[in-house]
Amino acid sequence: MSRVRGALFSTIVIVLVAVALTAPATSQTPSTSPTPQASPTPQASQTPKPGGVLNMMLREDLSQGFSIHETSTISTVWPAMPCLNNLVLFDPLRKTESVDTIIGELAEKWSWQDNYRNLVFFLRKGVKWHDGQPFTSRDVKFTFDMLREAADAPAKLRINPRKDWYANVEAIETPDTYTAVLRLRKPQPSLLLMLASGYTPVYAAHVPPANYRTTCVGTGPFKVKEWRKGEYVELVKNPDYFVKGRPYLDGLKYFVIVERGTRQAAIQAGKLDVSFPGETTKTAAEQLKKAVPQLVVTPYSQNVAENIIMNVKKPPFDNPKIRLAVSHAIDRRALIQAVHQGGAVVGAALAPKPWGFWGLAEKDLVGLPGYGAKPADEKALARKLMAEAGISPEKPIKVEIVTRAIAVYVDMASFVINELKQIGIDATLKQIETAQWHAMATRGDYQIGANLTGIGPDDPDANYYENYACGSPRNYSQYCNEEVMKLFEAQSQELDPKKRLALNVAIQKKLEADAARPILDWKIDFFTVWPHVKNLIPHQSIYNFGRMQEVWSDK
Amino acid sequence: MKTYVVQRLVIALLTLLGMSMVIFTLLRLAPGDIVDILFSTAGYVSPSEKQAIMKELGIDRPYWVQYVDWLRQILTGDLGKSYRYDQPAWQIIRPLVPVTLELAALSTFFAVLIGVPTGVISAVRQDTTLDYVLRVFSLAGLSMPAFWLGMVIILGLVTWFSWIPPLTYVGPTEDFKLHAVQFLLPALAVGYRSSALIMRITRSSLLEVMREDYIRTAWAKGQTGRIVIWRHALKNALLPVVTVIGIEFAFLIGGLVVTETVFNLPGVARFLVQAILWRDYPIVQNLVMFIAIVVILSNLLVDMLYGVLDPRVRYGD
Repeated sequence: MSRVRGALFSTIVIVLVAVALTAPATSQTPSTSPTPQASPTPQASQTPKPGGVLNMMLREDLSQGFSIHETSTISTVWPAMPCLNNLVLFDPLRKTESVDTIIGELAEKWSWQDNYRNLVFFLRKGVKWHDGQPFTSRDVKFTFDMLREAADAPAKLRINPRKDWYANVEAIETPDTYTAVLRLRKPQPSLLLMLASGYTPVYAAHVPPANYRTTCVGTGPFKVKEWRKGEYVELVKNPDYFVKGRPYLDGLKYFVIVERGTRQAAIQAGKLDVSFPGETTKTAAEQLKKAVPQLVVTPYSQNVAENIIMNVKKPPFDNPKIRLAVSHAIDRRALIQAVHQGGAVVGAALAPKPWGFWGLAEKDLVGLPGYGAKPADEKALARKLMAEAGISPEKPIKVEIVTRAIAVYVDMASFVINELKQIGIDATLKQIETAQWHAMATRGDYQIGANLTGIGPDDPDANYYENYACGSPRNYSQYCNEEVMKLFEAQSQELDPKKRLALNVAIQKKLEADAARPILDWKIDFFTVWPHVKNLIPHQSIYNFGRMQEVWSDK
Repeated sequence: MKTYVVQRLVIALLTLLGMSMVIFTLLRLAPGDIVDILFSTAGYVSPSEKQAIMKELGIDRPYWVQYVDWLRQILTGDLGKSYRYDQPAWQIIRPLVPVTLELAALSTFFAVLIGVPTGVISAVRQDTTLDYVLRVFSLAGLSMPAFWLGMVIILGLVTWFSWIPPLTYVGPTEDFKLHAVQFLLPALAVGYRSSALIMRITRSSLLEVMREDYIRTAWAKGQTGRIVIWRHALKNALLPVVTVIGIEFAFLIGGLVVTETVFNLPGVARFLVQAILWRDYPIVQNLVMFIAIVVILSNLLVDMLYGVLDPRVRYGD
């Protein structure tokens, strides 16, 4: 009720002093706000300073509180990551995410045994949950039994989007308090990369998982101080953090700002120190840089691909020739220039180098549908395929192209419609509200769609089994090729990195040649921070660098 | 008077009952529900898990059961639990209400402060340069959406002062000056638009009254311009103006969506839109009912004011 009394009081007082107050208030207050200061680009040689609070933005309020395991959205992962820890994590100080850049968090060491069938974690001792309880192997077993939905799991998640990641885990054993063994059905070196993703924190066994929707009992470098719904989330330094001297910052504050223009103005004014991952387009970054030249802009892959989903069970896209024609018809490079002003790159099912590790290089894309040297030749090839299917631009077929009612989706879909028109496909746009999108796509209640796919870790397993595997609910095209499935299995179990990479090149070429889910581009984010923000290094995926343990402020 | 108020309150209760049915039905007619949104944030859909969550939230029950349950909750002062936040709806709604009420009250204050005097001047100086200038000023206010003006203010501040208002609510006891600035800027943006409407109504109403016989008589009696205009003419011209002010205030309670969004103020309207997008029925239903109550009460207040302003409209017992 204090806000009610306060509002009443202040309304009366404001009315009385309004005119007198407005001019001095607006002219004086700016001088109290953070003044932009010139500062060098982050340098590794600088000595980190402790203290300070980082102000950050959220595009929307936390959708499932801090329950990372129940969502697949960066709006949850970004503010919840600092509160939690994984067994292992991609090194926050290195841009590249690979098996070589994985560091231990709750696991001090780990070891593959029995020819990659057992993954043994040796856990840190003396780690405490934010409520003072000790962290043990029981918490590890609890978390991963819950995630894989083991028959004897003591708890169940309300929604479990990444259950498939753990399909190969047969059992979790805890020989002692500080050892946990993930026993696999077959070798799967990729599992370690999935465990290093921001999507894979360890939950406390003594806390019901539902509680994470409203609060966060973690072991992480920051504790939740307050979550004011729709306004902000405030975290403070965990003084008992198991890494001595970390975190450097005293706190983090994430402001919910729904309006994009206000978010941009806030970072420009210095009210916010950091942009939101995946938020800043090339144009927006250029505008910010022009207004505040000292801002530090780092382009990196969002690990989000724009793609076309075609329902292989519904006409006309049950005809492989028409699917292939669609893929040939779309000029990817023109799309990148027209829709993203150059803020994206071409690639196949996995993000290309240097943005990702596994993706096809430009030279490998040559000869694949849509990547011919001359777009006109690609269109001609598409028209030839359409003619073989009995369709010509003079007598076009009518289809409905669905997409989410979100600007980035609609922009892409509009471009695609124009491309399809040139080969005899007269597509009308149908915008689907977010509430209906996944249900509609999973049911296969569409003909063709313009889609965005985000991938947690930059790893083939995380992508293939989710988006291309027979029977997967997120394989919206319902593409199913037994031969390709065998290749998925082969690369997953391949222990030689070179052979695995070669297998992945072959798989990606096959997927594009089959027009399984034609990839149009990989989006680049232009992550923007003020120069006093140090050690906040974007990775190959927006989901994996939010821990904030190493971040410090040179203010 | 007492009988009239009681009659109006009974009618208000019936109106609210009707409103509750409309709100409840319309929400259920919108495609999708909270469970679809939850799965949307997870990126997949599982029919069996969906059914379990629907049962947990109680939205698998027949609509009429859910409706009766909601009415029962309102009568017992329990507004239910937010589906999204898993917290009592009242706990979430309570901090939003004063923010919106304060913003709406300040906006209305500025609207009246600007609209009535400019309307009077414009009417008194009809067809002079000043009249044209004020009419252009008011037309500009009507033409510029408040959210656009708000965004221009924000962009102007960031460009010229490298400063924008606070990103979250600052209480008056916390920092009064900052609190005042936080509310004055959006209130001016919204108040300017509303003032334009009030100015035009004041002007046309006053022009009509100024042509009445009793005004001519007042002039003939040799009364000063101030007395003729402010005591005789304006008082009689105010009835439609008061009506518009009442309607504007009521409209602002639910109509500040974009202004609250642009200025990042945690008010009712901004939160309502988010709750609608999330199909958070307990929050939406109760917030819309709150807006309906404010609209009904402000209309009642306006009707009461008629009696004060015009003795012919006094409500006898």
